[in-house]
Amino acid sequence: MKKRIPRIGIGGPVGCGKSMLIERVVPILAKNGYRISIISNDVISKEDADRMRQNLATNQGLLPENLVIGVATGGCPHTAIREDPSINLSVIEEIENEHSDLDLIIIESGGDNITTTFSPALADYFIYIIDVSGGDKYPRKRGLGIETCDLLVINKIDLAPLVDANLDIMERDAKTVRKNKPYVLVNCKTDEGVDIVARHIIEDVLFEQPPKKIITNAK
Amino acid sequence: MNTDFSDLSLMQISDSFFPTGLYTMSNGLETLFSEKRIASIDELYELIQTNIVQQIGPADCVALANAYNFTGSKDVERIIECDKLLFSMKLVKELREATCRSGTQMIKCVSSFVNNDVLSEYYEAVKNSKTPGTHAVVIGVVSNSLGIEKQKAALHFLYGFSVSMVGAALRLGMIEHIQSQKILHQLKPVIAETCNKYISKSLSEMWQFAPEYDVIQIAHEQTFSKMFIT
Repeated sequence: MKKRIPRIGIGGPVGCGKSMLIERVVPILAKNGYRISIISNDVISKEDADRMRQNLATNQGLLPENLVIGVATGGCPHTAIREDPSINLSVIEEIENEHSDLDLIIIESGGDNITTTFSPALADYFIYIIDVSGGDKYPRKRGLGIETCDLLVINKIDLAPLVDANLDIMERDAKTVRKNKPYVLVNCKTDEGVDIVARHIIEDVLFEQPPKKIITNAK
Repeated sequence: MNTDFSDLSLMQISDSFFPTGLYTMSNGLETLFSEKRIASIDELYELIQTNIVQQIGPADCVALANAYNFTGSKDVERIIECDKLLFSMKLVKELREATCRSGTQMIKCVSSFVNNDVLSEYYEAVKNSKTPGTHAVVIGVVSNSLGIEKQKAALHFLYGFSVSMVGAALRLGMIEHIQSQKILHQLKPVIAETCNKYISKSLSEMWQFAPEYDVIQIAHEQTFSKMFIT
């Protein structure tokens, strides 16, 4: 039986930095030898997938270009990752059939609202990302995504003073709402905090297993 | 107690809650709408009608009906023949991929709760890439396995296709929710007539011909900004 490749789902509101987080985390994971595929769900275009392919595959050579895949979601981003994830699952099955040597599949949701969650059939680990520009009330407002995700990422912390967002309040509320499940403050523009996200992925999703190519070569 | 659950099974696979991903498909409507080549409700109706009469009816519906029969006669090789023939008639790459993704996910789902030798053998062939797993053929196999009548299976497929397109029109903002139901009502005679016309045809009588429509859908493949897979 084929071994399931671990999958991370990344969700969050429009413009919060989902694609940017992927663009910052993947180089760290690739540097550690992990082979990755990215499926980018987009509500209205393939722009995110094209940008990630250009940056991570074409420019940096961190993964093959055909392993960054854009999926259109018929205007229903949450349906595509939860109620009816058929199309994403089908794409994943195609990847697993053709690239069993991969260590990780990252599925990016289209921009959605704070009730976003991933079907357990689709993602093994769920990262929900918000940014400070919506105000420091966001963690306090809860929502399934913020409350139940495995890792909450709060992005664009450099903008906090400009939008009168108090990071202490956001941290306090994140701890309360999430009952001490992990959260990370990041600035994807400068990579601040991104290494912590990568560390969570290596420890909590990959269980610190060495990359498959190292295991294979050792045999 | 009545133990014939075939109507309930039909409701189950027809429900929008059943996971097949059809909501991600506009079947070329998105391109027509963005290029302002379609605007009125009448034009939308005509587009769906053309698709049913010129493509989905004579090709998919015939494949579905034959796959249904071959499931009854436990002839998996002939089911695969239906599958490959239908796949070869889909000239647009996006459409080929979309129909196979819906088909493979549907049979995966139904296989998890139905125990049937033909269904299992065909599903194995799909998993091993020996056959494409087109949506219509999967519906034929699945429907027979669930005891759903052939005609109802074909009506389910044609109606599901219509809902997919009308739903896309609704989300594109072409029509509102009451109009969408009105169009579905208007399509009922087209669906019923098409079903009756093709449900008894043999594989050798399969055809499809809508070249302008194919070109439109090929254009969709090249579109940068899009909401739908097809």
